[in-house]
Amino acid sequence: MSKLLRIILPLLFLVTQVSYAQTRTVTGRVSTSDDNSGLPGVSITVKGRTVGTLTNASGDYSISVDNDATLVYSFIGFSTIEERVGDRSTINVKLATDVRNLNEVVVTGYGQQIKRDLTGNIAKVRPADIQDQPVTTFDQAIQGKAAGVQVNAGSGKLGQAVRINIRGQSSVSASNQPLYVVDGIPITTENLSINSAQTNPLADINPLDIESIDILKDASAAAIYGSRAANGVILITTKKGKAGRTNVNFGAQYGASTPTNNVRFMNAEEYVGFYRRAAANRDRISQIDPADPDSYSTYIEDFFNAQSLGTFGTQNQVDTKWGDLAFQDAPFQQYDLNLNGGNEKTSFYISGQLLDQKGVLIGNALNRYTGRINIDHQVSSRIKVGVNTSISRTLNKRIAGDRQFDNPLQLNALVPLTPSTDPETGLETGTPPGDATIPLYYNPRINLGNTKFNTTVYRSISSIYGQLQIMKGLTFRSEFGLDVLNQQEERYWNSKTARNSSAPQGLGQNRYNRVDNYNTNNFFTYTTQLGRNVIDATLGMSYQQSERNVNFIEGRDFPSDAYQQIASAAVKSDGTSTQSNYRFLSYFARANYKLSDRYLVGLSARIDGSSRFGRNSRYGFFPAVSAGWVLTEEEFLKNNNSISFLKLRASYGRTGNAEILTAGNLSVENFPQLGLFTGDAKYAGLPGQRPSQLANPDLKWETTDQVDVGIDFGFLNNRINGEIDYYQKLTSGLLLSVNVPGTSGFATQFRNVGNLENKGFEFVLNTENLVGAFRWTTSLNFATNRNKITNLQGQVIEGGFQAMSRAVEGQPLGVFFTREYAGVNPANGDALWYKNTTAADGTVDRTTTNTYNQAERVIIGNALPKWTGGITNTFSYKGLSLTVFFNGIFGNKINFFGVGQYSSANGIYEDNQTADQLAAWTSANPNTNVPEARFYRANGSQASSRYIQDGSFVRLRTATLAYNLPKSLINRVKLNSVRLFLTGQNLFTFTKYTGWDPEVNADDTVTNIAQGYDFYSSPQARTITGGINIGF
Amino acid sequence: MNRYIKNWFYAGLTTALVTACAGRLDVAPTQSIEASQALNTEQDVIITLTGTYDGLSDINLYGGGIQYISELLGNNRDVVFAGTYSAMSELSQKAVTTSNTVVRDFWLFGYNTINMSNNVLSALSKVREATRGNIEGQARFIRGALYFELVKAYAKDWNDGTPAQNPGVPLVLTPTQAISDADYRARNTVAEVYTQVLDDLTKAESMLPEKQENGTGFATKGLAQAMLARVYLQQKNYASARDAANRVITSGTYQLTSNFGDAFADATNQSEVIFKLVVSEQDGVNDLNTFFASTLNQGRGDIRLQQAFLQLYEANDVRGQFINKASINTFTSKFNDQFGDVPVVRLAEMYLIRAEANLRLNTSVGAAPLADINLIRSRAKATPLTAAQLNLDAIARERRLELAFEGQLLPELKRNGTAVGTAPANANNLVLPIPQREIDTNKKLVQNAGY
Repeated sequence: MSKLLRIILPLLFLVTQVSYAQTRTVTGRVSTSDDNSGLPGVSITVKGRTVGTLTNASGDYSISVDNDATLVYSFIGFSTIEERVGDRSTINVKLATDVRNLNEVVVTGYGQQIKRDLTGNIAKVRPADIQDQPVTTFDQAIQGKAAGVQVNAGSGKLGQAVRINIRGQSSVSASNQPLYVVDGIPITTENLSINSAQTNPLADINPLDIESIDILKDASAAAIYGSRAANGVILITTKKGKAGRTNVNFGAQYGASTPTNNVRFMNAEEYVGFYRRAAANRDRISQIDPADPDSYSTYIEDFFNAQSLGTFGTQNQVDTKWGDLAFQDAPFQQYDLNLNGGNEKTSFYISGQLLDQKGVLIGNALNRYTGRINIDHQVSSRIKVGVNTSISRTLNKRIAGDRQFDNPLQLNALVPLTPSTDPETGLETGTPPGDATIPLYYNPRINLGNTKFNTTVYRSISSIYGQLQIMKGLTFRSEFGLDVLNQQEERYWNSKTARNSSAPQGLGQNRYNRVDNYNTNNFFTYTTQLGRNVIDATLGMSYQQSERNVNFIEGRDFPSDAYQQIASAAVKSDGTSTQSNYRFLSYFARANYKLSDRYLVGLSARIDGSSRFGRNSRYGFFPAVSAGWVLTEEEFLKNNNSISFLKLRASYGRTGNAEILTAGNLSVENFPQLGLFTGDAKYAGLPGQRPSQLANPDLKWETTDQVDVGIDFGFLNNRINGEIDYYQKLTSGLLLSVNVPGTSGFATQFRNVGNLENKGFEFVLNTENLVGAFRWTTSLNFATNRNKITNLQGQVIEGGFQAMSRAVEGQPLGVFFTREYAGVNPANGDALWYKNTTAADGTVDRTTTNTYNQAERVIIGNALPKWTGGITNTFSYKGLSLTVFFNGIFGNKINFFGVGQYSSANGIYEDNQTADQLAAWTSANPNTNVPEARFYRANGSQASSRYIQDGSFVRLRTATLAYNLPKSLINRVKLNSVRLFLTGQNLFTFTKYTGWDPEVNADDTVTNIAQGYDFYSSPQARTITGGINIGF
Repeated sequence: MNRYIKNWFYAGLTTALVTACAGRLDVAPTQSIEASQALNTEQDVIITLTGTYDGLSDINLYGGGIQYISELLGNNRDVVFAGTYSAMSELSQKAVTTSNTVVRDFWLFGYNTINMSNNVLSALSKVREATRGNIEGQARFIRGALYFELVKAYAKDWNDGTPAQNPGVPLVLTPTQAISDADYRARNTVAEVYTQVLDDLTKAESMLPEKQENGTGFATKGLAQAMLARVYLQQKNYASARDAANRVITSGTYQLTSNFGDAFADATNQSEVIFKLVVSEQDGVNDLNTFFASTLNQGRGDIRLQQAFLQLYEANDVRGQFINKASINTFTSKFNDQFGDVPVVRLAEMYLIRAEANLRLNTSVGAAPLADINLIRSRAKATPLTAAQLNLDAIARERRLELAFEGQLLPELKRNGTAVGTAPANANNLVLPIPQREIDTNKKLVQNAGY
């Protein structure tokens, strides 16, 4: 439909002129050039008019047109063809398949352009790229689909935040996430979670409603979004109706998920042997007689006995595989129905979807209903109006943050001697009235049925527009959008969970968030053609206002476990009501000029003002310039048989980043520039205030200057086509939460300090390897990005566990900066670290020490990948098709310390250990990398490179086998199309990482700096589903 | 003609839409207020003082951190730390790393609260004269007490080397409005910090009332005296310590509870407790409960008592039975209430200070040392000491038995020169490192020896 719009809009003025011409009926058949089979659903429009139709199930069509009309035949995945009617009454057309159509419409900010004319870099993801994938949010589905767009789902928990980095990361302390715009309206994407595990507001969007996802990567494309575009912009366009018969499509998909991987921990026998040794070693070191009642050896035997509920050493001793108990059967089902159609004046798209999914971890589930109505109406020849509106309800049954004791994956830490069910009570071990001090830690399985963490989101993203054609070529469009997000989080812990909730009589929390986000865009568009000159210009303004209100109540001491509402709580232990807001006022302009289809120039600029910026720097200016040269339009290449398309392009522009994060601190998050006192410092029932933030009236956006040069190419009639880009993004005035001396009474202050850069190549290649009845196409993309912090003015900015991540000048953002592990002293089993001290002459001392503090911290590796990529191969024969999509990430490190400091720590605590710890040093096994096991004594379990691993992986992300039933068969039952498919998600993973899953970011730890941490984080789901799509 | 009118109408409409909304970018925060509006009235000063107590009650300060740092670093197998918080495990193992988060946060929150005190002290002119002394006294007490705690933790003990040369902690005595070069401060000497501590506490003593209308959770004259007694004791200024303790005891404001256990329950300890930080279900966290109490009492069950320690108590001593068991582990019962107030100073300690000082000085100010010791022992149903049994070791042991886990362990060991296991009292690893974060941020800070 967007294609249709592009054709219609500039030519609206023609309608009146052509309406007096003679009309006739044209009939014909549209078929594929591959196998001559009829193509249903091909859009046939009259160029310059809103009139149109679609081919029927066998590919036939009929349309009333004028003599001098030109018919446009278009269908996704095929080249568009234009035919001038002339005096013909029958026109049969064959459409050729096209991997990447140069005439494809690309959505730009406040407009659109055909791909051929682009001078910037915009990556497009189509519905076909994301359909069939059993994922909750569309952002997970675009992983590996667009060069230079890295997606990290972080965890297998449902509906949690996904990190998307477009062309690297341009900020240290502010957001690194792109701006999301749905149908022209910037939507709310801020995290609204009650706990530190971020939720994903994109989960409220039905991926099947998306017509296209256009990712603005370079500055010339993105600068029209000014101070919010430095991390790229993701434009989402929803589906629109097509004039013609009403199409009804029904889809159903059903399947199940399992975890991609599990990690082996010690079994009961291994555990007992290992810990006996660890305790004996510790007694030896501390010179304690093992027979002493306070000795570690005595303790560990008592411990075995207590943890086993007395079964240790008896016939009834168990060997519980706790890790397996973290997972549940995880069915997936999804049903969707959509209708679209209309006539020349009005078109509509109506859809509904039901998604019901369980996560792989026990207790995790997501249920979503969405509905959408998009209507466009031509009021008169000059006025057009429309509305896009969606509503959704998402219920996410969430589970604890990764670092909480009730995170199910932490079951792995429990002692295998402990029975999973208490034989006395028949309940999960540790459930009162059984002994609540067993197992070793709180048993997360007690949460099932005894806790609640329901997050319900009601969301409506809606916009209306009116468009007026003022004169030939000049239109004015006014858009008003409203994104209302209501989120309620209900948490409840009954008395059985007291060990974890610390509330022996129950605890309830209820938090309500409402975000009202208004936006209006008002702009003129002017298009004109003067001979060989085509000019396309835009001028307008935008205003956005967002307000967030939060109410929270906590109560404890419920009459019994039957009462769960806070109304029943004897003590209302906490309650707040808070508000915050921000505003943006912007003016923008753009002009694109094309000469002879050959020379392309683009200019754009935006002025952005924001309430977030300091009073001394309220408005910013963000210009961009770009140029392109289509060499294949030049005489010397025009008739070249092998080179079918060649374009050189270059752009430069400036964008900003205004998303200043303050770690979810609502009181200051939108006022980073002000010196503040906050009235939350109550004490002993009296109200109090405290200084909460240092002022910085000069605070402003981060500024990113980006240069991009690229080639678009097509060979052999575009059977081989692609793009190559090189870019440099230089960011200055980083919005840093700068450490200040703690003696000032403050820890940090927001300042614009320092610079960083991202440089990279992107490569996209699409090939049609085989054409004909058996088709094979390949779509490949890969990208490399080198991030480097060039200047921090000496600031030290740290993050992660034990501050192991750090922003370091001359290094990529978030390198791991810690002691370097040097293995084990074969003589005594001591862990060793390299000293790495630098002498006055610059030499580095590479000798080792067993004293942790004597070792200097050094850079160990980078959590950011060096290479990312994806490759899709599609094979089709007749109605059968197979799509196989791999993606990969290379050159990054993962930090296992979060888990390893407890579980791969050669027995420092009673936590069950990963099986690799069995290789711990003994006098009989002196040459090992695992230090001697020493109970309650750190021996190499401190933060070091010991826990930092290669995180590269290649994953068979999706494989889909689909079969379109033959038309001859389904036409008999009056159906338009029937498609059956089978999809596997995350089927295989190739990695050296020893944790659960290399696609990881501990959900309550991750920040820009602290990336790549694992903390018993949920592995991704391997989901296999089957489905059917029926078109009526 | 019509068409022109229509076009002008359209032009006007579009212009209006494009130019609306200007001047809407001045948005004031609704959740906080700008600093310039925060300290202009007496009420502003009072609520900032309340905020200062809130800071003082933080888990990293008297909410628990100050106490457990002393107990874990001074621990020699009286307890085992079996928790998984590596920062605390490091303290227990006397192998503290410079990035230790407990060490980092004690410093950060300590100075954060000192800055609040300084804000109060800078705005005293806004307060009526009638209440000014009380407010100044409270702010000075908090600042003085925190500098005392900081210098004890992050610097060599008063008795270790030359206080006038040993680096202490930086002294900041004015509120921070903006960061300038002057805010990158070097460490003052231990002696300078003690001078400031004594100045603040002495002034506080003279300004504070005997009782605060809001209860035991606020600083009083008796509290300033009690804290002075601790400071003088640490300096081995026994005469001043004795006199300060004696002023507390003879004020008559405080009484020992008749049962030892009553001193650790909010409902019954009002008479004995000189200062505690108020915790309720709605505000505050008792971090001593978090770490010392078993999971059955809503703690983490991390700090477990050892048999050897429990055997120090004679069989009839109720203090040795003031324990509870969960599974195979034994815990102190001093912090069983999750929402109990956190005790900071009890009257019993004043008797022990007076007894020790009197014994050392061979005086009997207030009472004879033997009488003071036996007052404490008989309350605990322990056998009274005879005159022959009374010596400095007996007093040190009594302090250990009476004040166990209340945060007095490490400075006591350092003052008496008692080794902690294999670490001598002046060992480097019994002094916290200056947090790595501060060393990295402020080049003027010098790290402690051994780190």
